[in-house]
Amino acid sequence: MACLSTSGRVVCGTRRQQTHKLLYQLFGTSSGSVSGSGVGSRPGYAGNPHPGLALPKTQLQAQRLFHGLSFNIGKDYPDLMQSPHSCSHSLKYSQCSKTNLRQHSSVHTQQPAGPVREFQIDPYIILDDDLKYFYDDVRYLLKSGTSQPELDTIASYYFDGQGKALRPMVTMLMAKAINYHLNNESHQLVHKQRQIALFSEMVHSASLVHDDVIDQSDFRRGKPSVNALWNHKKVTMAGDYILSIASIMIARLRSDDVTIVLSQILTDLVQGEFMQLGSRETENERFAHYLTKTYRKTASLIANALKATAVIAQADDNVAEVAFQYGRNVGLAFQLVDDMLDFVSSSEQMGKPTAADLKLGLATAPVLFACEKYPELNPMVMRRFSEPGDVERAFELVHKSHGLEQTRFLAKKHCNEAIRLAQELTESPYQKGLQVVADLVINRMK
Amino acid sequence: MYRARGLRIIMQRLHQRIPVSGELHPSAVAPALKTFTSQQQQHHRWTSTSTAAGKQSANVQVTPPPRHDWNRAVSEAERIVGYPTSFLSLRWLLSDEIANVALHLRKLVGSAHPLMKTAKHLLYNGKNTMQAWGLIVLLVSKAAGHAPSVPDVEQDKSAGVLHSQRALAEVTEMIRISHLVHNSVVNLQSSTQAGQDGATYDDMSFGNKIGLLTGDYLLGHSSAELANLRNQEVVELISSAVRDFSESEFIGERDEQNNPLPYKPGTFQRPSLSVGVDFNEHDVMTPMPIAQVLGNPEQEWECRNILNAGSLLGKSCQASLKLAGQSEELQRHAYRFGKHLALAWQACLDAEPFQCPTLPLDATFSLVSAPVLFHLEHDPSIYAQLEAGKQSVDNIDYDKIHKAILAGPALAKTKELQRKHTAAALAVLQHFPATDARQALENIILAMQDL
Repeated sequence: MACLSTSGRVVCGTRRQQTHKLLYQLFGTSSGSVSGSGVGSRPGYAGNPHPGLALPKTQLQAQRLFHGLSFNIGKDYPDLMQSPHSCSHSLKYSQCSKTNLRQHSSVHTQQPAGPVREFQIDPYIILDDDLKYFYDDVRYLLKSGTSQPELDTIASYYFDGQGKALRPMVTMLMAKAINYHLNNESHQLVHKQRQIALFSEMVHSASLVHDDVIDQSDFRRGKPSVNALWNHKKVTMAGDYILSIASIMIARLRSDDVTIVLSQILTDLVQGEFMQLGSRETENERFAHYLTKTYRKTASLIANALKATAVIAQADDNVAEVAFQYGRNVGLAFQLVDDMLDFVSSSEQMGKPTAADLKLGLATAPVLFACEKYPELNPMVMRRFSEPGDVERAFELVHKSHGLEQTRFLAKKHCNEAIRLAQELTESPYQKGLQVVADLVINRMK
Repeated sequence: MYRARGLRIIMQRLHQRIPVSGELHPSAVAPALKTFTSQQQQHHRWTSTSTAAGKQSANVQVTPPPRHDWNRAVSEAERIVGYPTSFLSLRWLLSDEIANVALHLRKLVGSAHPLMKTAKHLLYNGKNTMQAWGLIVLLVSKAAGHAPSVPDVEQDKSAGVLHSQRALAEVTEMIRISHLVHNSVVNLQSSTQAGQDGATYDDMSFGNKIGLLTGDYLLGHSSAELANLRNQEVVELISSAVRDFSESEFIGERDEQNNPLPYKPGTFQRPSLSVGVDFNEHDVMTPMPIAQVLGNPEQEWECRNILNAGSLLGKSCQASLKLAGQSEELQRHAYRFGKHLALAWQACLDAEPFQCPTLPLDATFSLVSAPVLFHLEHDPSIYAQLEAGKQSVDNIDYDKIHKAILAGPALAKTKELQRKHTAAALAVLQHFPATDARQALENIILAMQDL
């Protein structure tokens, strides 16, 4: 599960050359500190150049402790991660003095306005306890709902733990950041929020299963897709099955508002798919149409799942809105990067063929940006790249234009907005994790 | 669709010179009917709906013109619960997505995609489809009434049902149609015949896309509507009915297009259970324990069709009473009523292809329908004929099997099965207070028996 974060960190190192300057301008951090954390050399942080930006020293040490060691550390300090105030717990481990405690208590008021980069926080590691058995729990749920082994096999096919688990990870981070913000971190609440995270991943998988039947692609995540292996009728039913089990689980939280928020996800997903079918819009409307579609197909799931964690924690509307907008921005950035990677990654990295969107006749952000420079793309977009040679030509023109850079820039803008929103919550490792995630999203390679 | 059927009914009435708002207005007739026995009711129904009833009315066994009776029972029932209950509301027709679907469906006209057949089936529903599951849910709701604690604003006074129950009835129809539509997806795996036919592949693939999305659209909207009911037990129950639908498509052997095939006789050696299996009423997550009854024709048939139909109708009736704040006991009765009604209806459908001595051209029947399962028990050697359907059920000589089944006791047993579930449904109905809605339900059941 830490694969994304690891690769994310590696990318930081390589990407540094390109965006080094931008980062410097944006965050005013010295390149030394960025590169130090970028390649994972933690000790660079010991002499923290920005004491005001980071957590108190004691806490940093505690975090470095889990980082320096392997995953097992998480098991050794389970209460550290589940406790209502992990910050104060970390004090216990570092045997700090009362002065430190006071320093800690004033953290909230010392929070500076600028964005904080906490590269040493790995969201997958601080959430290890919540994510460790995540896929086992999904598989258990799916198994317990049916007496038909084949249905169970198809339904749990994509819950093999090979995915990035981005959605549950962000959901849990937001949940815990909100709980910290509200000063309410009961186990019961976290458990309910974890069910919302399960729901987000299950709905995502159900949509993948149905997409496989629609798109007829043979591979996903580096293995044969469900439609290649099983009867398409059964695959369709398995998608419905996952949804029904997820809804039963959510209904058992017995929260009317959570169910309402989460049901929005399903209607958005389908409406997004319908938008993808038709391309009636004119050149002017096209980009807005693309963004709305992207919101419905990808961002709505994250945004509403995050909002649901706030709703179940009985946060006020402002906090719920922060959660929602954070999720919306991260989701949009995620999909923009995904659309960009479709042009630059190799098939091995993505686990699916490249230029897949073009082959499906879809014009994503890089193409739409490229249209400005090469109007000859317009007719191709209108005919959905259906004529021979269209896909190759469009691929080439996108690379010749600034479409990919512009897409990345747009994604970056959404990530920065997400980071800004995260900072509205009380500072905590999870709140910092939310900021780290925004970085991972933009820097990911797969 | 309602307009079409409404017109047809009006035409029939004009033809038979029966006053449309005649002596059978339900509110006028219902109180008088309360004390009648079921035979008398049938008698009454019969005499009042046919101009030529005079000499036949004494004999209940004579089958009246079937469609007439059925349509009349349904349209009367519709009047009892207010306006037509179909999901085909203005909201639905005006939605962008559906306009979109209609546009795309037109591209499929003329193709062999089963989605077209499903769409036609839904739009021009003859007697082959239980067109009004929503109607049944509303009638049960009205028959049960609601707890005094339900606030006035929630009620639709003129119709006697709650707004939330009306929404639930709509959800029931949406879920059922979404299942039918998802079931129209064609298996295009490269190993199958359909997947290799290059000429129709694009049509099929496009049809699959539209079918899948339309079904998802319906599911998505039902889940939003359900959420707005603000009753999580109801959400749980209805979600489990969706689960049951998908489970039903996995039971037993299947051909390439997932059409069900019966088990080889003798695969299971199990004593038949004294009581039929059903869901665990305390935990909706627990699936139907179908493994216990495989191999026993009647009980296996029952389980397959509970998953396939009875679960949704039963659970919707139950959920509707939950919304009305009715007792657990009455809720269970509502579930049983819905279940038995769906099973009786299925038995009636299963028997239909065997009503005439020769199978009509191009007609087929399900290989797990009650007559086939009963016949397999009676004469296991027929299984050799069915094995031809392993790749595709189209390879089976339906005429031959039809003939064999007619020669055996299977049809009589199917009729018996239908009567059993009809009686069970009528018996459960006695737990509800006698009202015009209950009367309408009884009429529908009796009309169905005569189909």
